[in-house]
Amino acid sequence: MSTLNIMVVDDEEAMRESLAAWLESSGHEVGLAENGSKALDLLGGAGYDLVLLDIKMPGMDGHELLRRIRERHPGIMVVMITAYGSIESAVAAMKEGANDYLLKPFDPKQLMLLIEKMANQKEMMAEYRLVRTRLSELEGAGFKDLIGGSEPMRAVFRRIEEVAQADIPVLITGETGTGKELVARAIHARSVRNCGPFVAINCGAVPEQLLESELFGHERGAFTGAVRTRIGRLEMADRGSLFLDEVGEISAQMQVNLLRALEEKRFLRVGGSREVESDFRLICATHRNMQALVEAGRVRSDFFYRINVISIHVPPLKERGDDITLLARHFVQQFSREISKPLQELTPSAYRLLARHSWPGNVRELLNVIERAVVVSRGPLIDASDLTFLGPEPEATKSGATLKEVEALHVRRTLEECDWNVSRASEILGINRGTLTRHIKKHELKKPC
Amino acid sequence: MAGAERLRVEVIPLGPVDEVSVSVVAANIQTFIGLAVDVAPPWPEPAYALIPVRGQYNALPILKALSEGAGTDIRRLGLLAGDLCLPILTHVFGEAQVNGRAAVVSLRRLKQGRNGQRAPTHLLLERLAKVAVHEMSHVLGLKHCRSPRCLMSFSLGIEQLDALSLRFCPDCERLIARRILR
Repeated sequence: MSTLNIMVVDDEEAMRESLAAWLESSGHEVGLAENGSKALDLLGGAGYDLVLLDIKMPGMDGHELLRRIRERHPGIMVVMITAYGSIESAVAAMKEGANDYLLKPFDPKQLMLLIEKMANQKEMMAEYRLVRTRLSELEGAGFKDLIGGSEPMRAVFRRIEEVAQADIPVLITGETGTGKELVARAIHARSVRNCGPFVAINCGAVPEQLLESELFGHERGAFTGAVRTRIGRLEMADRGSLFLDEVGEISAQMQVNLLRALEEKRFLRVGGSREVESDFRLICATHRNMQALVEAGRVRSDFFYRINVISIHVPPLKERGDDITLLARHFVQQFSREISKPLQELTPSAYRLLARHSWPGNVRELLNVIERAVVVSRGPLIDASDLTFLGPEPEATKSGATLKEVEALHVRRTLEECDWNVSRASEILGINRGTLTRHIKKHELKKPC
Repeated sequence: MAGAERLRVEVIPLGPVDEVSVSVVAANIQTFIGLAVDVAPPWPEPAYALIPVRGQYNALPILKALSEGAGTDIRRLGLLAGDLCLPILTHVFGEAQVNGRAAVVSLRRLKQGRNGQRAPTHLLLERLAKVAVHEMSHVLGLKHCRSPRCLMSFSLGIEQLDALSLRFCPDCERLIARRILR
């Protein structure tokens, strides 16, 4: 039985306190409110699962409060408490949407069975939501968002198929923006755990001092501000997959803690004294060279070998040939639909421009470029002129252009990329400022007004 | 074991309670929890906690009275012959302040045998030992355990209490050890 966050609403202090004492000894977290307004205030701020609500209270009575809870917090379960002899009132409350009722004083056995029933209901609802999410993810599962027909990507797909069923840790490497998380999701979707959760965390984006609590969870009172017990990502991933992005950023101490949790499949929440079990598959990703980090002493070798049982390398976009065209077409369709524009198409010159770009930001950069182009373009076609922020199509690079034309074009494009900052452009071109100034004069280049 | 040497439990009869019951409780707490136990002279029956209309004692004021004046190294367990309840519950076998200083156990319902008969003495004492160790473990910070055979699991009734063995699951045993060393 899972523990619940329970609010007790009763105007009699003795009732509130005794119920709280009893529920807390069973491990539940309990909040108290002596009237309806206070209850509504508290319900707005915290994640309560269940309200035990006395029907007879001065001011806003239990029926009125039940109606307001149903309006504002339909997901919270409500059990009405009523004195012996007021059963009609409890039945009326059931018709108004209460989940159950108790006649006070209640038999401890009756209360325990009811709390168990509510905890089971909470678990069933959570599972139902999870299955619904998973089902929608599984529609066209697997490689739905992973698009590519190039040989390097076909090799990635084959590798995903090979490792998905194996239920062992996988390390995904590749430059930023290549779609490592999509690969992780595809592995999860094709694994035996695909009805469990896929829980992702970017370890590089969470400050070191918060990462432990994010991963392992914490008990109430574990540190200042820990007002409620919170489960961590490891626990959330039970029966599913845990995806640790940017795993190379994890500190040595955290590597030790994670290693222990991975080996024992159990761990302590921060500030906790009872071990929690979680059975998850670990999938990690990094844009760094992990072997080099091991050699530099930044990553423990035992941790590296534990997470790197199998690895998959996702190639950068510039090595994926025609995939740029495939991806660009896919993104155009996607964004056209999203902003309800008539379906657009890229012109051949736009495709040529995209194919020539070096894509240091990989697929993520392409996605952003296409989104911008779809938004700014006015007609049914997206032309190279809608992609000016990538630089103009290089007329001079077609065969037959002279060396002088190519040089002029390259200098001009570099200057434009640097917003005509001569110092920065000269650094990129590998020449000094004076030489660049001579090139600008020689090719009669002028900063646009 | 410096911490264990410092922390002590006082078993206090609240009104008339037979000596055997008091001794059994003291011995079992010492054995299963590992804390030194003193048997204190009886306190008067807690008339202040009596709910006349129910003929039961409210556990909350009794816990408050027991915890008042208990030093930081003292934990108190009150033993009561009368029936015990919480205002919201029809009855309880015992009640404790989780992570607090006091617990109270009633003998009244533990005497219940089959077919309305009184339970044999050995069974009554075994039940009493279970409830006393369970409640005192709450005082040390343990909550109900999900392991069905563990002494810290919640008993839905006297039959389930009888089905429990007088032992902790490994997790709770470890927790007890940690708490008394703290």
